Amino acid sequence: MSWAGLEDLFLSTSLASYLDKKLLVVLRDGRKLLGILRSFDQFANAVLEGACERVIVGDLYCDISLGLYVIRGENVVLIGELDLERDELPPHMVNVSPAEIRKAQKAEREATDLKGSMRKRMEFLDLD
Amino acid sequence: MLFFSYFKELVGKEVTVELKNDLAIRGILHSVDQYLNIKLENTRVVDQEKYPHMLSVRNCFIRGSVVRYVQLPPDGVDIDILHDATRREARGA
Repeated sequence: MSWAGLEDLFLSTSLASYLDKKLLVVLRDGRKLLGILRSFDQFANAVLEGACERVIVGDLYCDISLGLYVIRGENVVLIGELDLERDELPPHMVNVSPAEIRKAQKAEREATDLKGSMRKRMEFLDLD
Repeated sequence: MLFFSYFKELVGKEVTVELKNDLAIRGILHSVDQYLNIKLENTRVVDQEKYPHMLSVRNCFIRGSVVRYVQLPPDGVDIDILHDATRREARGA
C-alpha cells in the first residue's frame, strides 16, 4: 500500500487531513469526546490521544479526562475539526466539577423519568 | 455506485445533512466516498441552541451509516440524467 499524496489527502473523504488535530467526536449514544486524532481506518475506527468526554447538562459542562481511547467506528456519528479561533462553547455556559455534573445529570434523568411516569399514569385521558 | 457518482457531482454545492439523531448540519459538500461518508466545510448546525458543543466545528466528517436525509439545492438534480443513469445501472451496464 502506498501513502496518499498531498492532493489526495485534501480532496478525499479520508480522515487523514484531521490527523494530529484536536477533534470533537460525537457517538451514537450522544456522548461527545474530544481529543487529538492519532490513527484511523476505513471504518472510522479512531485513536484519540488525551481524550476527554464533554458532559453537558443545560448550561453546565465538564470535561472528564479519559486518556488514550480507541473508538470502534460503528459508534461514530460525526468527527468535527475544532476551529481554535472560535469559542468551543457559548459564553454563558459554566464549567463545573465532575461531581457537580454527575449530580446535574442525575437530576435531569430523574426529571425525565418522572415526566415519563406521569405521562403513563395520565394515558387513560387519551391526551394526543 | 450510482449514488456515489451522483453525490460526486454535488461537490462544492451547499447541502443540509440530517442525521438519524435529528442533528441537521448545513455546509458545502467537500467530498464523498463509496460508503457515502460525507465531508462538509463551513458547517453550521440548523438548531445551534440545542447543540452548543458544535459551536466551533467548521469542517466535519459524517459517517455514511448515520445519515437520514441529504437536502439538496433546488438545481442539484437533473432528473432526466438521473433517470437514464438509473436505467443503465439497473440493466447492469
